[in-house]
Amino acid sequence: MIPTICLRRVLHEAVITPYRNLVTRATGAAVRGRIEAALERLGCEVAVLDFSGVEILDFSCADEIVAKLVLPAARPSRPVVLLGVRDEQREALDHVLAHHGVAVTARLHESGEPVLLGAATPDLHEAFAALRARGAALDDFARLPIS
Amino acid sequence: MTRVVEVPPSFDDRSFEQFAAGFGAWPPEERILVDARGTQWASPYGLVGLLTAGQALAEAGRERPLLTVPQSEDVKRYWARTGFFSHAAGLFEIHGKVPRAVATGPSDVLLDVTPVRASEDVHEVVGRIGENAARIMSGELGLEAKSSVGFSMALSESCTNIVEHAGTGGWVAVQAYTFRRRLGRRVVVIAVSDAGIGFRRSLESAHARRFGDRWGDATALEAALIQNVSRFRDPGRGQGFAGIKRYLSRWQGKISIRSGTARLAVVPPWDDDLPLADQLPFFPGAQVQITIPAQHSEPA
Repeated sequence: MIPTICLRRVLHEAVITPYRNLVTRATGAAVRGRIEAALERLGCEVAVLDFSGVEILDFSCADEIVAKLVLPAARPSRPVVLLGVRDEQREALDHVLAHHGVAVTARLHESGEPVLLGAATPDLHEAFAALRARGAALDDFARLPIS
Repeated sequence: MTRVVEVPPSFDDRSFEQFAAGFGAWPPEERILVDARGTQWASPYGLVGLLTAGQALAEAGRERPLLTVPQSEDVKRYWARTGFFSHAAGLFEIHGKVPRAVATGPSDVLLDVTPVRASEDVHEVVGRIGENAARIMSGELGLEAKSSVGFSMALSESCTNIVEHAGTGGWVAVQAYTFRRRLGRRVVVIAVSDAGIGFRRSLESAHARRFGDRWGDATALEAALIQNVSRFRDPGRGQGFAGIKRYLSRWQGKISIRSGTARLAVVPPWDDDLPLADQLPFFPGAQVQITIPAQHSEPA
């Protein structure tokens, strides 16, 4: 079982505000720092991030958190799975991941449906569709080659 | 000696050039008197621009400028309502009676004139705009409810630009009004202005060489807004304006950025603005305006 990291909780720990918005690069960097520390502590290779309860996600913060978790500066790419992603957040995530030429699996807040976000090759799309068709678990999606 | 800089009667992004020209060579040697007595209306762009002038003069070490307030009681009340005078008091020697700011329930002022200096200010701004944005975007502009999330994103990215690049603080204001002259519809306008180093100086060390002799305020704006470049080497940078443009293209919105002596705009079909204006009068920092129109015209 892969532990899920609640972004709203991490946001509240990282910045002392009552807001539910993931905005600005500085906030993104602070949140990512805490996520990386948690992954290290838990010994997790896969990052499962839950966006439930997060309202606004801007492009800078999406880049700083998700794109940089997928593509850490000094390591090979890390599998990331997103949960509770709302339609309005999907656009920012899709854009920043495509910009870096990587993809992640996300489960949408509204429908619960798994989708691929970012730049996915035809092979990745095919593998994703096959997993989805057999109702695969998150762990399986996390094993997809993302970049 | 005192130099009088007149605030245009209708003070918006277009008449701003007349205001900027009034300062002459920057920074002006003389003491500045900003004369707003004849001003009948000011857009949020005008108000944050006025504060930027005061801030830039202070940061240039010039004598505290004078500001004469509008004669019109309605205009004064409105400027007070936006919070303009409370910030102006710290930057100008104000002449004329200023009314107390009184909030009277829901208004067209979606976000008072607010200082932006740090990441926490951006959180504050985005948090405060939340419910108002949803009310205006879907209620008055006829946009789908979730458009207010993209609106908050655009607001956040344009304020973050100050925090990341200006090297000093700035101001933001958001207002809804009817854009009769050019559009005949309600619009929501985000105005962001700072007194910082401007786009040319921000991008110079990383990008000037590539442009050679062409390098200047206009090419710096083109690099940032059209090519999405950033002064940072980090490949993820420069996506803020890309995100704003993407959002605006969906709702026929407009963005214009003025910095130094140039102004660049992504112009939607409803507007007749020039995409690029160069060799304008110098004005410090950067001024951004984002306009989102209603989807339907107002009844005549």
